[in-house]
Amino acid sequence: MRVNGSPVPTPAPADHGMRLLDYLRDHLALTGAKEGCGMGECGSCTVVIDGRAMTSCLVLVGQVLDAEIRTVEGLAAAGHGPLQEAFVARQAIQCGYCIPGVLNSCAALLDRERDPSDDQICAALDGNLCRCTAYNRFYDAVHDAASARRAGGDA
Amino acid sequence: MTAPAPVAGRPAPWVGRSRPALEGHDIVTGAITYVTDRREEGMLHGHVLRSAVPHARIDAIDVSEALALPGVRAVVTAADVPVNALGPRAVDGPALADAVVRQVGEAIALIAATDATTAQRAADLIRLELTPLPVVDGPAAAAAAAAPQLHASGNVSGNIAFSSGDVEAAIAGAALVLRRSVHTPAQEHVAIETPGGVASWNAEEESVTIWCGSQNPGLHQRKVARALDIPAESVRMIANPVGGAFGSRNDDPMPVFLALLARAAGAPVHVHMTREEVMAAGAKRHPFWTSIDIGFAADGRILGSSVRAVADTGPIITSGPNVMKTSAEMSTGPYGFDVAAFDGTVYYTNNANAGAFRGYGVPQVAFAIENAITEAAHELGLDPAQIRLRNVLDRGDRHSLYRHRTTTSLNVRETLRTAVDHPLWAQRHRWQAEATGPWRRGTGIAVAMKGVGMGSGTGDTARARLSIDDHGQITIWAGPNHTGQSIQTTYGQVAADALGLPIDTIDVRVGDTGAVPESGPTAASRSTYAGGAAVRAACDELVERCRGLGLPLATDAAGVGTKLIELGEAEVNAEFRLPDTDDIGIVPPEQLATFAPHRVYGTCTQVVRVEVNALTGEVRVPELLCVLDCGTPINPAATIGQAEGGILQGLGLAIMEDHRVSEGVPRTTSLENYLVPTIADTPRMHTLFVEGSEDSGPFGAKGMSEVVVVPTPPAITAAIRDAVGVLPQVLPVTPERMLALIEESPCA
Repeated sequence: MRVNGSPVPTPAPADHGMRLLDYLRDHLALTGAKEGCGMGECGSCTVVIDGRAMTSCLVLVGQVLDAEIRTVEGLAAAGHGPLQEAFVARQAIQCGYCIPGVLNSCAALLDRERDPSDDQICAALDGNLCRCTAYNRFYDAVHDAASARRAGGDA
Repeated sequence: MTAPAPVAGRPAPWVGRSRPALEGHDIVTGAITYVTDRREEGMLHGHVLRSAVPHARIDAIDVSEALALPGVRAVVTAADVPVNALGPRAVDGPALADAVVRQVGEAIALIAATDATTAQRAADLIRLELTPLPVVDGPAAAAAAAAPQLHASGNVSGNIAFSSGDVEAAIAGAALVLRRSVHTPAQEHVAIETPGGVASWNAEEESVTIWCGSQNPGLHQRKVARALDIPAESVRMIANPVGGAFGSRNDDPMPVFLALLARAAGAPVHVHMTREEVMAAGAKRHPFWTSIDIGFAADGRILGSSVRAVADTGPIITSGPNVMKTSAEMSTGPYGFDVAAFDGTVYYTNNANAGAFRGYGVPQVAFAIENAITEAAHELGLDPAQIRLRNVLDRGDRHSLYRHRTTTSLNVRETLRTAVDHPLWAQRHRWQAEATGPWRRGTGIAVAMKGVGMGSGTGDTARARLSIDDHGQITIWAGPNHTGQSIQTTYGQVAADALGLPIDTIDVRVGDTGAVPESGPTAASRSTYAGGAAVRAACDELVERCRGLGLPLATDAAGVGTKLIELGEAEVNAEFRLPDTDDIGIVPPEQLATFAPHRVYGTCTQVVRVEVNALTGEVRVPELLCVLDCGTPINPAATIGQAEGGILQGLGLAIMEDHRVSEGVPRTTSLENYLVPTIADTPRMHTLFVEGSEDSGPFGAKGMSEVVVVPTPPAITAAIRDAVGVLPQVLPVTPERMLALIEESPCA
């Protein structure tokens, strides 16, 4: 298992039945991934596993022993600093609890689409609940980030 | 506008400028530690044993097996709580169920163990002997003659009634009289962080520190002190960062549970509720059954209105009667007319407890009056905007029910005019004509008004403390607390302009009873208005002090700080007492706090476009306009963000959210069967401000974050009426309900 670009100690067999969310938070101290429902409905625990945004509350450690996992803590190193900056600058954040999951869904989209359409952004985020904002600024922030990445030539 | 204009030699004003949240960087990097992320050395994990039945006598609780389980450090039941009460009255309910359980999800026992799984296993080992009792499954059952009484005081939690005259006489000769009943459901807040946090007990000092979300840290401090029977000064509440609130952190007992566990275990204890626990046990928006009798002249003028409301507050009082107090005041909407009456009753039941929720009793009654006005416009052949313009209150007008004087910043008329001129309204007929396939189009409009602060006679006060150090750095401790609106960012803008100092030299702290003076709740749309005014008062006093001493604060803050420290004058305490209405109308003076009419109101008009699928009953909302009368928006993008988030909660209430309970048992138990709006349900939104300034607010600001929820449901039903010819009277308008209405309507 690699997390945010670095190998992590191989999880003990006894931990293979643990939810990935708990492993990240309690064993690796990566508390950016949040629990909001525990059943894959709210998207707050979304991380990127082998390039796909997935809810880590529904993934067991034993399923991802060979996977490349990225959490919100690894976004900047993966070239998603502009996405993070855009969410702040656009004031697309209120309480912020859903935001790590939202950013991971956006980042997975930006990794496969240089210039995502509104429909693609909507589809990428329809598994992430936000109760404070009304989502609209997420579109603006993703477009800003896509522009910045294209301008920076790293997309 | 009293927003400051640029002055030569002074920094450009911050008020009126959009400023990203100060904690934004920590949020997007995952660095921020929410209260439930907190971890302490030697920390235990807590679990709450909750009732699975709505009403039963507790004959016995045996915790011996649970205590014997290896890893269990503490089990707390009612018998172990020094003062087993969540408030001063019996109807506030116990901290832990004692003798009887009255709701599915009611807390019975608390467990602390070395890990969460062990704590949960221990809960399963607690033996409960329960005798089922008859279930009071709603207000009708509560009011029945033979109903089981849920409290010694009976099943009526509160009643509020007031009349400014004989409504039936006033509407006797009316061109149109409508007598209608509407229903609005229980709504769950769905703050994305569920309640929880950490508490740490100091055995030597017999004191406790609690990290747990709260909209009223001072109130929770007192609740914890009462339950543990220790002085309030021995309780420190640190109430953020927290992942959303919307009212749910007003009545939440979690800080008490955390403190009881930490004291019993003698170690830090962490608890994080599951979503299923919150769905059952968390307070909801009160479900209401509201009736209105309203008469109109042929030209659309309202001649009189009488509103009766019944609400279900569940087994304990929480905010029930206070919510109904707000319903009473807003039962006349933003309209001026001569004769009004209100009568509202709140009942105890064995259903889900209801409490504070953004809008606080106003969306429920507003739905009745706005729907009636929508219907009256159609019946009288009037334009739906014009009939509202004919009736709205103007600046300083007397309130229709209490006849008290409203603030001169009231500008509801301008919100309507602005909305009417917007293309979304002006081009509604063309948009409707372009409908294709089964999707029928309609446009609706609705208006709302809501008081800011606790109202006249309540003594509502916010406070701020400020200090300057020898580097010229300013620290301000202020409230209300931040539960997602980044109020400290806004307070910083107020302070920077009031002091004339660079904003990065000002540090604002909120939400810690160990440092912040008592400032009341993050509620009643008062945080920017009242907390901001207290910050401004503290800053003004520092500026005045420096002027009196001849100290150049703006040009040499470090020198001034050094000098003030020498003089013992480096700290300022200030307060802002929210002004009462300057004319209380016909409210008896000795009952002013009972009715608590407001002086200051925020208002809002919304225009909504709706598409209704005539074959499936689906309702979708592609676009929405919100026009706000909130005085000076101090941080405009943050204000718009608040507006849009509130609107989406109103949209959820209108077409999808319904916390369902039958025979006392919740049927909506998780986010799989309780639906809230996703990005795919969200309309494109436009939010506009009307020019205005509230004299008593900081730089002209007043509150707005609740009123925005209110017009959305009736604007949506008005749009549905425009699209398919039927006006829904029951929320939410699910596809099933919509289809039934279409099929039952001969002219749809």
